[in-house]
Amino acid sequence: MLKMSLSQRIAVIVIAAVTVLLIGTGAYGLVARGGAAGVAVIRDLRLQSILNTAGAGSVEAYVEAAKAEATARVRAEGGGMSEIREASAQAEEEARASFHFEPVDLSTVDTTDLEVAVNNLVAAQRDYYEAESAAQALYIEEHEDEFRAAAEAQVAADSEEEVEMVDMVIDLSGFVATEEMLALQAVVDERFVALKASLMTIFPDLTDDVLDTLKPTLLSLTYVSGDTFETQYDRYVAAAGTAHQGGLLYFVMRNGSNLLTISVGLFILTLLVLFYQSLVKKLGLPRLIIGMFFVLLCLLAVLYGLSLPSLLGNTIVRLGMNSVLVLAMLPGIQCGISLNLGLPLGIIGGLLGGLLCIEWGFSGWPGFLFAIAVGLVISSILGYLYALLLNRLKGNEMAVTTYVGYSIVSLMCIGWLVLPFQSPELKWPLGDGLRVTLGLQSSYRHLLNDFLSFEVFGITIPTGLLLFMAFCCLLMWLFMRSKTGIAMSAVGDNPRFAEATGISVDKMRIIGTTLSTMLGAVGIIVYSQSYGFMQLYQAPRQLGFVAASAILIGGASTSRARISHVIIGTFLFQGVLTLGMPVANVLVPQSTISETLRILISNGIILYALTKSGGASRA
Amino acid sequence: MGAEYVLEMKGITKRYGENTVLSDVNVRIRPGEIHALLGENGAGKSTLMNVLFGMPVIHNTGGFDGEIYLDGEKVTISSPHDAMLKGIGMVHQEFMLLPGFTIAENIKLNREITRPSALSRIFGRNLERLDMPAMAADARKALDSVGMGIDEYTLVKGLPVGYMQFVEIAREIDKTGIKLLVFDEPTAVLTESEAKQLVSVMKKISERGIAIIFITHRLDEVMAASDSITILRDGQVVSALKTRDTSIVELAELMIGRKNESMISVERRTLDPNAKVALSIEHLAVDMPGEEVLDVSLDVHEGEILGIGGLAGQGKVGIPNGVMGLYPASGSVSLFGEQLELNNARKALQKGLAMVSEDRRGVGLLLDESIEDNIVFNAMQINGDFLTTIAGMHFKNGRQIREHAQRMIKELDIRCTSPLQHTGTLSGGNQQKVCVARALTMKPKLIFVSEPTRGIDIGAKKLVLETLVRLNREMGMTVVMVSSELLELRSICDRIAIVAEGKLVDILPPDSPDADFGLAMSGIKPEKGADGHA
Repeated sequence: MLKMSLSQRIAVIVIAAVTVLLIGTGAYGLVARGGAAGVAVIRDLRLQSILNTAGAGSVEAYVEAAKAEATARVRAEGGGMSEIREASAQAEEEARASFHFEPVDLSTVDTTDLEVAVNNLVAAQRDYYEAESAAQALYIEEHEDEFRAAAEAQVAADSEEEVEMVDMVIDLSGFVATEEMLALQAVVDERFVALKASLMTIFPDLTDDVLDTLKPTLLSLTYVSGDTFETQYDRYVAAAGTAHQGGLLYFVMRNGSNLLTISVGLFILTLLVLFYQSLVKKLGLPRLIIGMFFVLLCLLAVLYGLSLPSLLGNTIVRLGMNSVLVLAMLPGIQCGISLNLGLPLGIIGGLLGGLLCIEWGFSGWPGFLFAIAVGLVISSILGYLYALLLNRLKGNEMAVTTYVGYSIVSLMCIGWLVLPFQSPELKWPLGDGLRVTLGLQSSYRHLLNDFLSFEVFGITIPTGLLLFMAFCCLLMWLFMRSKTGIAMSAVGDNPRFAEATGISVDKMRIIGTTLSTMLGAVGIIVYSQSYGFMQLYQAPRQLGFVAASAILIGGASTSRARISHVIIGTFLFQGVLTLGMPVANVLVPQSTISETLRILISNGIILYALTKSGGASRA
Repeated sequence: MGAEYVLEMKGITKRYGENTVLSDVNVRIRPGEIHALLGENGAGKSTLMNVLFGMPVIHNTGGFDGEIYLDGEKVTISSPHDAMLKGIGMVHQEFMLLPGFTIAENIKLNREITRPSALSRIFGRNLERLDMPAMAADARKALDSVGMGIDEYTLVKGLPVGYMQFVEIAREIDKTGIKLLVFDEPTAVLTESEAKQLVSVMKKISERGIAIIFITHRLDEVMAASDSITILRDGQVVSALKTRDTSIVELAELMIGRKNESMISVERRTLDPNAKVALSIEHLAVDMPGEEVLDVSLDVHEGEILGIGGLAGQGKVGIPNGVMGLYPASGSVSLFGEQLELNNARKALQKGLAMVSEDRRGVGLLLDESIEDNIVFNAMQINGDFLTTIAGMHFKNGRQIREHAQRMIKELDIRCTSPLQHTGTLSGGNQQKVCVARALTMKPKLIFVSEPTRGIDIGAKKLVLETLVRLNREMGMTVVMVSSELLELRSICDRIAIVAEGKLVDILPPDSPDADFGLAMSGIKPEKGADGHA
């Protein structure tokens, strides 16, 4: 039996009751919307809004007619220009006063003809939009590379900002309508003529001309590409006036799916309250909070109509691209140097590997493997020296690793300027030195991401990337189970114990640190192939902190970590960031709150973990 | 004045939570008397002094019961500073001197003699000038009274240890109105001649009417210096007597003496005194802070349980740590006739030695790892057991480890939820059993067990001891057990070596009289004491 406090019980019961209520109403709304009631609502609202629009048009038509008449009359009387204007204004005033438009009451008008005409029009429009989107999709597919190139050129141009994902900008300026679309367009026009006729029977004042001017308004009222119940409802209510919103039933139908989304959230909340104690015990409070935050972001994304599959797809890509960098934290933590904030050291090695790969013109898999091989060689040497330094400064690892990270980045800012690379792809067009952002189009961009990738539920799975991540994790898992790996973990856990067993503490720390640095090199190559760019100069500086906070979110402490911590942590951290940015932008438009959030989460988590790593509180 | 006693402590009782460390202790000291306070480690000497000085540790843990009278007046001592003002001084075991200052400055520290200066007239007393000649004269007087001829302007830095002790004493004496001085193990760091000098200084001080409480475990010094003696054992006063009415043997007996209860019943056996020597230690010296070993030579016979006893800080724990290569050691050690390389933990383990460390949580366990990983760790790393080799790499063999761990858990009765439970979450007794299991998994020829019952409850103690006996009797393992608890050693050991001040004093059979153990622990070879007694 679950142990629960009274307040917990009450909370569970209340939330569960609300959940059930919401599910009930939401489901009812959805069912009603799909049935006759829904059809009737949409039909009434649609007709009402068309009548309103047309009615307003008919007023204009009457006014125009009155003005024309007055003008003609004055002109016939031989009046001057000013008199004509005066008479016209007077006529308009009189006309508006006498012909006050009252919204048409649907029940008083015979709308059978109109309804048929409207339905025909909507059907034709739907056909047309379907044809159009199909044609456009084809066009985008054909020209995808151009768009991407343009987007990347954009990123390369304003490389001051740190961008993690490149968004394609779709430019349809070159799109030409197809034959089929033109034919369907003709059908729409034809049906609109029929609609005009039926409208004119209802509003005798209406003229052909007025209705032609109203055509775009009416067409955009009847059907819009990708229409759903919600969009139609909202549009018609706006056009028909709030008086026609129509009570609770309408509201429930309109918000059926939102209610369901909220009830899913409440259901998760119920489970959370119900199993609070065991969840906190199992996951720890920070992970629970971050996990719940992630769920909340998913729900908000659905509520605000953001594309959840594409966001989740992005999350998975980011999981893959960051995972190796986060994995690099593991041997460092296990061998006792705690968080390897000197990760930029390994990253520099990997970047050099990538640069040499471009310089010597390798591409594809050979290029990727070459970059990794060179990166491993360089980073193993750097890592060894770094480990010797750390062995001399035992007890101050956190400060030393941070300083090493900062120093190497600053040192390489000079390095990137003076290294004798020759490839025009790498150098500034004028002068010496390497560019800040280097595109990888010619070498190994998206090599892993695109390998065997497929789409499921609208989520693109970067199979190669995930396989590579799994491969690295497997190797690490095997290493941690090997005799050396176990000895290394013992050194990290209790150096005096290890010494008493005749294990060389310094040697194991060298192994762990070097391994961590080497993984940093592989990590940045994987990261940049997914990103599509390598960023030099200041860019590697923050990556160590990001990786550290990810593994800490995953449940690691500064002295103990497991592979599950790496995967869970990377997913949660990147997931919160990927979903957080678009959601934050919807909530607070035009703000940089998402960036603030990112810095807050990543540094806050490190701080939290440091407060927990005192060690004195060991049970 | 006029009161009979300068200090009277009546019915002092102190509890730390459930644990009673002092119960109804009464101490009375006359003016000008040297009063020795005797007792084993943990008998309550330090706690009693903490009560007397009003140390924060006492107040923070709920205070104490009982009353303190100074010169017949009831007093409340709220802090060490308060104690100082009331005329109680302490000569600390570790010196509290400023090395960069002269002896005179150290003696007069914070009690400087000052003269007004131009600045002090404006800014107050704190800026007055020091009157160095007056201070030097005072210091001279204090130094003379402890019999130190050294120049008072000498810097403390570079003085021999013994001199520092006397400077410390001089500082206490220089305080006006001092009535009572406490000497906490003052001779621990002194050479023999310095110790003799100290004793005479103490007598000189007491002649001036200052009472002295003398805390020590050296019985001969007690006999030489003190007038009266209070003996504490397990927080109780066992005896308060006049030095002239007693003997060193009686003191030893009183200090150690227990009812002849045995923790577990082990049948006595007589071992062949010519049995093969398993471990031979010659002139071992170990540099282990707090447990320094100076020169120990010892033979361990095959198949016996050898106990190593002695008071804390005397070096008994240093012996296994030195042999196992955990602390820098010198000397010569051979195992079954084979020379053992010192200062190499791996070699020692490979040769078939194993050790259960006294520092379970510090050295003995990987607290964040599972029980099974802890149990097999050494065997895996040293002997290469529990490994499977795939493509030249050694990986741990999970199934084999689990089987072995489960067998060990059953055999040693380790109370745990599963072999995967982290050792950090186990109770002390079960942690100790995991340590024993790890040592056994090494299949050692000789096992060192250092303070196996420290910090575990009585039931677990019994189990651990029984396990050791079983290992010895059933598996023929040679066991060397180091323990501060003489009772434990006497219940299971075949012979007990007593170490004092880094040297082996004697090896005694477990049924030797209490007095012999008491004397040995204070560094006196029993025959000598027994002769003196007879």
